[in-house]
Amino acid sequence: MNLIEKYLAKAAGKDHVAPGQDLTCKVSFVAAHDVTAPIAIRMFREIGVKKVFDPSRVALIVDHVYPASTEKARANVWAMDDFSKEFGVPLYQRGEGVIHQLMYEKHKQNPGDIVCIADSHTGTCGGYGQIGIGVGSTELAAAMATGTLDLEVPQVVQIYLTGKRPSNVFGKDLILYLGSKFGSDYLVDRGLLLTGPGIEDLSIAERMTVCNMGIEIGSMITIFGTAEKETDCFETYEIDLSALEPQIACPFSPANVVPVREKAGIKVTQVVVGSCTNGRLNDMEQVAKAFRGKKVNPDVNVLIVPASREILDQMEERGWTKIIRDAGATILNPGCGSCFGAHEGLITPRDVCVSTTNRNFPGRMGSKVGQIYLASPATAAAAALTGVITVPEV
Amino acid sequence: MEKIKGKVIILGDDVDTDQILPGYAMSEPYEEIGKYAMAGLPTEDFKLNREPGCILVAGRNFGCGSSREQAPIALKQAQVALVVAQGFARIFRRNCINIGMPVFAADAVKKLHTGEIIEVDLEKGTITAPCGVIESAPLSESVLKTLEYGGLIPRVRAELGITE
Repeated sequence: MNLIEKYLAKAAGKDHVAPGQDLTCKVSFVAAHDVTAPIAIRMFREIGVKKVFDPSRVALIVDHVYPASTEKARANVWAMDDFSKEFGVPLYQRGEGVIHQLMYEKHKQNPGDIVCIADSHTGTCGGYGQIGIGVGSTELAAAMATGTLDLEVPQVVQIYLTGKRPSNVFGKDLILYLGSKFGSDYLVDRGLLLTGPGIEDLSIAERMTVCNMGIEIGSMITIFGTAEKETDCFETYEIDLSALEPQIACPFSPANVVPVREKAGIKVTQVVVGSCTNGRLNDMEQVAKAFRGKKVNPDVNVLIVPASREILDQMEERGWTKIIRDAGATILNPGCGSCFGAHEGLITPRDVCVSTTNRNFPGRMGSKVGQIYLASPATAAAAALTGVITVPEV
Repeated sequence: MEKIKGKVIILGDDVDTDQILPGYAMSEPYEEIGKYAMAGLPTEDFKLNREPGCILVAGRNFGCGSSREQAPIALKQAQVALVVAQGFARIFRRNCINIGMPVFAADAVKKLHTGEIIEVDLEKGTITAPCGVIESAPLSESVLKTLEYGGLIPRVRAELGITE
């Protein structure tokens, strides 16, 4: 069995599992946010159980539309507040941060545990060795009631990483490159396991970025293993990190990826650095390093969104918030920010946005024809300064 | 599960959940979500007829992107009876089954046209269309069972023995 199979077998209480096998697994933690929780709560009440499986293993987070941009968004928060009080489940509703970052900061489980969140980017926790399964609201409601999740054992595709990456290449560039290699759906219903000596050069935060975007190429579970090559996988591909260069996803798919140099010179009107993909301290460090003593291009609207309040506090302590603001950028409150098109930085057909977020679908950030490019914080910061897509020098 | 008969609407590859239900519509009250079904599709001339028995027929990777269950709920409220696609994103496919809306994987998009009437047999795994019979894999027993209950919630209620 490979690492993913071993973890799933353990959660299902089995000695051995094989691809295609249906399992009922124990979940270690269950969570939902202000877009998915209201329907999950409605469905949970329909089930009719009197309590959640374990209140210490459930949390609700307001991150998508905080502070509320409409009355309806605020009403959703009240539904979560009522549920939190009735069932004794913690609610984060004061701008603490994005759900996947809060899982890391406040609700870390043991390696191999299964975390079930009603959000597609749940795979993020694979960066620190947990199995994250993204589900919809109804499945989340069932998991809240039973503490279990039904799933099928996936075929596992292994990426064996060797070499040391160039200084301007990051976890984001690696996952975008995998998108260009596999396309948007090759990994649907499959697992993605990253191993090899090359992973040792990637910090936990960068591994989280890679796992966060596994879903953009369809992956059911994305997780980092060890430097050792696993033998029992469906397929194995070797990638030499030293040969990678900065990558960029072009409109309108996260898997529509080319090297940044091929798009260099395209005029940019907005830059966003943040989200559950790239709103961590190391990402903010790239921005602060690039912006120190400089001004952003006057034709570019630059929005910086830390993934959590803890990250924002550390940015303050290090003096990065002043550097970023002095450069002419705007720091938004921790949360999902502009990423999903509900508030805080919507674009028009005239806009070209370089963003560190995870999706560039039509209309993702507002206009259906506004252009979104996805890239690393270093590439985004370079575009903010020059006003055009630029290969970053780091 | 009965056979599903309806009128085809053809869609392309990689129709994501932002196209099926845009982010701005997600805070809408549950009962209102259907109004925004397919509102994010960039194709200007697309029209969802909102008549009973509408069958969407798409290419690869239908429903990719967000886990938002509002996307299939919107389709269901807009009277979509079934989605047929060459392939589905995993979370979207499960969301559909969980709310009691069938999805059927078949290589049919290039063989059918908007406005045609087709009949889909989920148990046999066949589509009867003007071009002939298109064969694919039937739905799994577990999926058919959930659909017979009307979705995951009634199934979980039955399995937990909750009757009130």
